[in-house]
Amino acid sequence: MKNVVRQLRGARDLSQADLGAALGVSRQTVNSIETGRYLPSLPLAIAIARFFGTTVEEVFDVDS
Amino acid sequence: MSTAKRCLQSRWATPVVCLVAGLAYLGAGLAGGEPAFAWVGFGIMVVFGAAMLAASRFSETAKGLLDRRDERINALDRDATVIAGVVVILAILVMAIVEIAQGEDGSPYFQLAALAGVSYAVALLWLRWRR
Repeated sequence: MKNVVRQLRGARDLSQADLGAALGVSRQTVNSIETGRYLPSLPLAIAIARFFGTTVEEVFDVDS
Repeated sequence: MSTAKRCLQSRWATPVVCLVAGLAYLGAGLAGGEPAFAWVGFGIMVVFGAAMLAASRFSETAKGLLDRRDERINALDRDATVIAGVVVILAILVMAIVEIAQGEDGSPYFQLAALAGVSYAVALLWLRWRR
């Protein structure tokens, strides 16, 4: 599933480690989510969306 | 209890389990007159626990395995455990068949295979009830 986490993170000038620390996950996990290798759980997806002030549907492309 | 305190307690859970298992090996080996097994088993467990703690300082995976906060690493741990369990069950089934083919009664592999099957059924029912 494609997502725009990398773009949202880049727009805020955050590193993967910064975002991981904010979400309570590792830098590796942020990288895996951005590259689409790992699909986060619903709570983590919601946490990502809330962190960026948007919705899950805006972050994750459910049709891809 | 604070999140930091929970993480600290969780971080030490694996090394403590390693130490307890090592002490169990040590006690069993010494009681059974197998000092080599006792000390080697104890040493392996202590070194493994210490290595996990040391690795957690530079490896995110090791850190995640100890503090259990990262859902992806928890999933990796769960999947690796499933794979290891399937490998062990397959080995037990093969050994049970080999033992029976050699005219033996299949012990203890037959009982272990039965235990695996019963454990799976109980776990399935319990998980179904919970979810």
